[in-house]
Amino acid sequence: MSDLILETIGVGKKFGRFVALRDITAGFQRGQLTGIIGPNGAGKSTYFNMLSGAFPPTTGRILFEGRDITATPQHRFARLGIAKSFQITSLFPQLGTLENVRVALQAMHSRYDVWRARTRLHGLVEQAGALLEKVGLWPRRDRLAATLSHGEQRALEIAMALACDPRLLLLDEPTAGMSPEETRASMDLIVRLAAERTVILVEHKMKLVMGICDRLLVLHHGELLAEGTPAEIRVNETVKRVYLGQREH
Amino acid sequence: MGATTLRGTSRHDWMALAVRHRVLLSAVFLLVFPMLMPFKAIAVNILIYGLFAVGFNMLYGYLGLLSFGHAALFGGGAYACGIVMTRFGLPWWLGVIAAIGAGALIAAVMGGLAVRTRGIYFAMVTLALAQCVFYLAYQAGGVTGGENGLRGIVLEHIGPLDFLDPVTRYYVVAAFVVAALFALSRILASPFGAAMEALRENEARARACGFDVRTTRWLAFVLSGAFCGLAGAMQALHLGIVPIEMLSYQTSGTVVMMALLGGMGTFFGPFVGAGLFLLLENIVSLYTVHWQLLVGGVFIACVLFFPRGVWGTLLHALNRA
Amino acid sequence: MEGITLDLLALQIFTGLALGAIYVLMALGMSLLFGMLTVVNFAHGAFYMVGAYVAVALLGLGANFWVCLFFAPILVGLLGMLVERVLIRPLYGRGIDYPLLLTFGLSYVMIEAVRILFGTTGISFDTPDVLVGAADIGIGYFPIYRLFVIGVAAAAVLGLWLFLERTPYGLIIRAGARDPQIVRILGIDVGRVWLVVFGIGTGLAALAGMLAAPLQGASPEMGDSVLAIAFVVTVVGGMGSLLGAVLAGLLVGVVVSLASLFAPEMAQVSIFALMAVVLIIRPQGFFGRAGLMS
Repeated sequence: MSDLILETIGVGKKFGRFVALRDITAGFQRGQLTGIIGPNGAGKSTYFNMLSGAFPPTTGRILFEGRDITATPQHRFARLGIAKSFQITSLFPQLGTLENVRVALQAMHSRYDVWRARTRLHGLVEQAGALLEKVGLWPRRDRLAATLSHGEQRALEIAMALACDPRLLLLDEPTAGMSPEETRASMDLIVRLAAERTVILVEHKMKLVMGICDRLLVLHHGELLAEGTPAEIRVNETVKRVYLGQREH
Repeated sequence: MGATTLRGTSRHDWMALAVRHRVLLSAVFLLVFPMLMPFKAIAVNILIYGLFAVGFNMLYGYLGLLSFGHAALFGGGAYACGIVMTRFGLPWWLGVIAAIGAGALIAAVMGGLAVRTRGIYFAMVTLALAQCVFYLAYQAGGVTGGENGLRGIVLEHIGPLDFLDPVTRYYVVAAFVVAALFALSRILASPFGAAMEALRENEARARACGFDVRTTRWLAFVLSGAFCGLAGAMQALHLGIVPIEMLSYQTSGTVVMMALLGGMGTFFGPFVGAGLFLLLENIVSLYTVHWQLLVGGVFIACVLFFPRGVWGTLLHALNRA
Repeated sequence: MEGITLDLLALQIFTGLALGAIYVLMALGMSLLFGMLTVVNFAHGAFYMVGAYVAVALLGLGANFWVCLFFAPILVGLLGMLVERVLIRPLYGRGIDYPLLLTFGLSYVMIEAVRILFGTTGISFDTPDVLVGAADIGIGYFPIYRLFVIGVAAAAVLGLWLFLERTPYGLIIRAGARDPQIVRILGIDVGRVWLVVFGIGTGLAALAGMLAAPLQGASPEMGDSVLAIAFVVTVVGGMGSLLGAVLAGLLVGVVVSLASLFAPEMAQVSIFALMAVVLIIRPQGFFGRAGLMS
């Protein structure tokens, strides 16, 4: 019935004796926008980091388009078609805004060419420009990444993630630390992106994701608490109990 | 360097122009350099050690990898050149090619092990591996001449040029140095150069973009080895002998000091550093045999007060003005 | 190779342990400095050498061997504390490479200073009379002085362990290594803790150098080769791990010793081959915590 782009089968993670994540089996539908939510310390970030290849799980397997990627090193993910944005902004601060995206594009094409001029690589500058246009940063193309505002830096990160033309885009708390306007703009951007590719995002703020996600995964104490459409999650008794009394930010 | 600046002042335009034509500039400078030097005899030494420091700078300056084992690449190149010429009786230019290859090959093996470690381990592991190369050369006396060094490397003529004439010799070595700087300039401007920048700027992001951190570091190590191997060949041709001390820990340390004195991660810094170091050594040793005391002291002061080095400090001041 | 009996092998292993004991003291100091202060001390070999020369100077002033054994490490430890306070302290927080580069420059100054004071040639160092000769240790006769080296090193390791594990000051040092912030919040002067650690680390190097002097004499360059071996031991044992330093130090000593029995020309190279193997199999070393490497 379904076309799963990503599956985790019995995935768990231990840090020393501490169990961060226990036996998560879940599937992500191609083309959907899925949100991973849960209170602080639920294991969202650990789960995200394993999905994006930052570290391997202690137990279980991860499949991308049916292919086992459990032990695949991080640097292969971009070429497989999985891109991520970091929770804490992570750019090349002393490079120009356009160059940031150009380098990300270049990683897809040429990594070890020591002789050709990098500016001669066909179309990379144009493609980088188009991606900046898409996230609304074209006017800022000549600025150093370090001099951009927080919201602009997050947008630049998304442009860099898009550079590998990913079939799966992973976003870790994309609106963390943003002002209300910036949050709204970035939610709009995410909805637009989700129209053309699969997006999984981790979010702490439940209200934000309720409106835009097709499907939600709720984690709690390192376990999968519930799974379903936002409407189903909204009326789920267990989820209510977990979030009861917990103030929303 | 290479970053687009905010204000298009004329000074920045000049700087950009200088950066674009840096190979040409260095060629012109090296052409007139012997006429400016008070101690003409050390002009060739400055060229050779400058090139060695350029190779070292490739790793530390551009990738932040501090190697204390570069003597193995420099000395390895010198031995390769000398062995090809004395043991096999082949022409000098084959010796130079062999030296570049040997530098790259030793770097490939050392780098293959060293890039498995990170941070502070890198310096320790490269130092230890270079000691290993030293002892191997020491033991293989039949080929390398052991502790007496490899003697009898003779190069009198290169075509019509008289290599024994100091001025001619200087310009021959300078030609190789300019060629190497051209290659370096190409590498820095290449896609691989961009990968190195990305890695230095943000390792985690570079990895997420799809750059393989280990392979990038390894390749930079190999390229660094090729430059140092070439410098080693020049040294072998210049001295006519390869002393075993070229492989020693002190040689590795010397290049670290030169690069830091000049300015890490700058294009001309390694040459400035090599020049300052050798001038200091030559002037101080006129008065005392204990020049290392002063050199060590100057280096300590440099680490404490001028971590950008002489050239780096100058560039920084110019960029801010 | 005929004539290599089990007894000979056992004796050679014992010789290796004596050699290893000196490496252990070196590596312990290095590991301590790195684990607590994240300083890689490139002058560690120079402190080792100065340890031997301070003993030479004390002997020259009429002191006996036992006075040297006690005072040389203390004097060098004080020198180490001075270095920490004046030269290293300004570099904390400025990146891990700077202390490394500075101590490298410092080693040049120390070596040259010793050359100026004591000359460039090596100085022989007599073993005290009571430790001359050999004793039957069951598998054959073994030089008493080497037994003594093993004993002193074992006592030093035990003493260090007791100090770190059983004294309030050791507790502070261990806590400070884990999280300097917490120690600061408790109102303890972290700077003083670091000073003491630097003194202990360099003092251990001096003890090693002083113990090595009767075996090989004292020379200004004696620290250079030992520094490289100390690095190998730290890499093999795992940076920042004291247990790793002890085991790896002894292992390296035994490997060198056995290699010089079977293939003398490969004795030095075997050390580095050992390191290469460990790097391939377990890059963080026997007991290294992967986190400390970055």
